[in-house]
Amino acid sequence: MPPQDKTTNLTESPWPIGEMLVKAGQISLNHVEAALAHQSKQIEPDLIGEILVREGIISQPELMAFLVAKFFEERKEYAAQPLPPTAIRFAGVEKTLDGRKVLDRVDLEIPQGKITAIIGVSGGGKSVSLKHMIGLMAPDRGQVFVGDQELGSLTKKQLLRVRERFSMLFQGSALFDSMNVFDNVAFPLREKTRHDPETIAKMVRKTLAQVGLSGMDAKFPDELSGGMMKRVALARALVTQPEIILLDEPTAGLDPIIENAIHHLICDTFMRARYTMVIISHAIPQIFNWCHHVLVLHEGKILESGPSVVVMESQHPVIKQFINGNLTGPIKVI
Amino acid sequence: MFLFLLTSLFGVVRPPYRLDNLLKQIVFIGIHSLFVIVLTAAFAGMVLALQGYYILSRFGSEGMVGPMVALAIVQELGPVLTALMVTGRAGSAMAGELGVMRIKEQIDALESMGINPLKYLIAPRVEASLITLPVLTAIFNVVGIFGGYLVAVQLLGMSSGTYWGGIESKLAAKDIYISIIKSFSFGLIVAWVCTYMGYFTTRGAEGVGRSITSAVVLTSVLVLIWDYFITSVML
Ligand SMILES: Nc1ncnc2c1ncn2[C@@H]1O[C@H](COP(=O)(O)OP(=O)(O)OP(=O)(O)O)[C@@H](O)[C@H]1O
Ligand SMILES: [Mg+2]
Repeated sequence: MPPQDKTTNLTESPWPIGEMLVKAGQISLNHVEAALAHQSKQIEPDLIGEILVREGIISQPELMAFLVAKFFEERKEYAAQPLPPTAIRFAGVEKTLDGRKVLDRVDLEIPQGKITAIIGVSGGGKSVSLKHMIGLMAPDRGQVFVGDQELGSLTKKQLLRVRERFSMLFQGSALFDSMNVFDNVAFPLREKTRHDPETIAKMVRKTLAQVGLSGMDAKFPDELSGGMMKRVALARALVTQPEIILLDEPTAGLDPIIENAIHHLICDTFMRARYTMVIISHAIPQIFNWCHHVLVLHEGKILESGPSVVVMESQHPVIKQFINGNLTGPIKVI
Repeated sequence: MFLFLLTSLFGVVRPPYRLDNLLKQIVFIGIHSLFVIVLTAAFAGMVLALQGYYILSRFGSEGMVGPMVALAIVQELGPVLTALMVTGRAGSAMAGELGVMRIKEQIDALESMGINPLKYLIAPRVEASLITLPVLTAIFNVVGIFGGYLVAVQLLGMSSGTYWGGIESKLAAKDIYISIIKSFSFGLIVAWVCTYMGYFTTRGAEGVGRSITSAVVLTSVLVLIWDYFITSVML
């Protein structure tokens, strides 16, 4: 992973997770140093958690609970902090599909190294805007920037390069029918990295275990339930550890327990590596707890954007109606 | 549509070469079409011999059955029928598979991973088609001529020396050359049209059905038109 400019104090430390744990009094500094002393290779910061678990200093569930608690604190503080740099920016993006203006001069900014949720009514253009971010759709007018690169000005080859910094979970999962679960998750690693087959197998098994699908390796997509497919697709998106992760409704169609587990998993993954994450979700109001930043997309426009704690309290009638799920209000349903 | 062809052809010639994908496609197009090709070839040869024998016997030149069967098959029926059979068997399946991949966003998923789908999906199919069609056509030709032999010699009592001798003296290298050129260009048409139709599928399951139909119809028509064109130039 290329170096990112990490903005918060916690992440400037060479082993942020270890330091967080020490600061919180969960473990002692000696523990961390002892564990790290065993390691021969150069240590990647996001692996510290793994190492501590492997050395038996902290258990996996303890670590996850700790990270999630940390995330909740951080999420509250986010509102008071200056805005982080933007990872993705739309400038006046317009898109007409089948004669309908789906995006109408949308300006938006996705903060770098944060979790951003996009919410809004069905058919409001959320998936379409996600596809613009990764260049699968091009705006009719306006520009999409990833970092400081404008996607419309790139050659096809440069665009493929940019996409390598992303991974995306599609609303319909988009698993490859002709491959089993294992091969689906291994696919991006085989195509885009030089890991040997053993490493790949290890990474795939680990990610599948994280989404609760151990032992499903040999199943084919048509033998899975909708929720299982979602989780395989999530595993495929997380396994490559890119910079930016786009998730189109990762919890749609899942039972509440798995939904909660997936939210924990996303949060845990985020805390270890500080990806820029964009999540489209209809899991209202839960999703507000699992993101720093919220964008409300309505009728092709950004209605509101800001820290989740702020948007949650928004008095905008549309947003209030949406959050409460009322049938009466500015959004006409029936 | 030309751009589509050019880009995927570019994918054919540029590394990294995907041997595993290519082999899979060769097996799919080639090996799985073999049975149907052999069957068609045998009966095409047999019926040609039968028809030819009765027609030629009216002119008292039934000795020419061998060369007639061989020339008709090598120059025309071999390449054309092979292309049509492969279109029906493998081309339709190609269009269908790519169509489903399109509507289920699997092609988008490839792109989102930074993989060029033209290179990953289309190039191996075009390559495999270019390789297998000439081979299948050669097999068709041989089997067809043997089918003719069965009818002419075993059934109608022609001497086997006359049958083979006629073929040997009349079948020239140029005929085989034409057969190869035709089958090669048909290979291009089949893969190009069928993958194109599948790749640009829209509108759900119905769209996939429509893509398959247009792929088969358009390929068959183009094969016949191109056949006429190439024949008129090369004869
Ligand atoms: N490929 C396409 N071709 C034509 N129209 C499209 C296409 N994709 C989306 N649309 C249209 O764009 C609009 C927005 O679609 P989009 O998928 O972005 O909605 P969404 O906000 O993701 O909704 P949901 O929450 O139901 O997923 C819809 O009216 C849809 O019909
Ligand atoms: Mg959507």
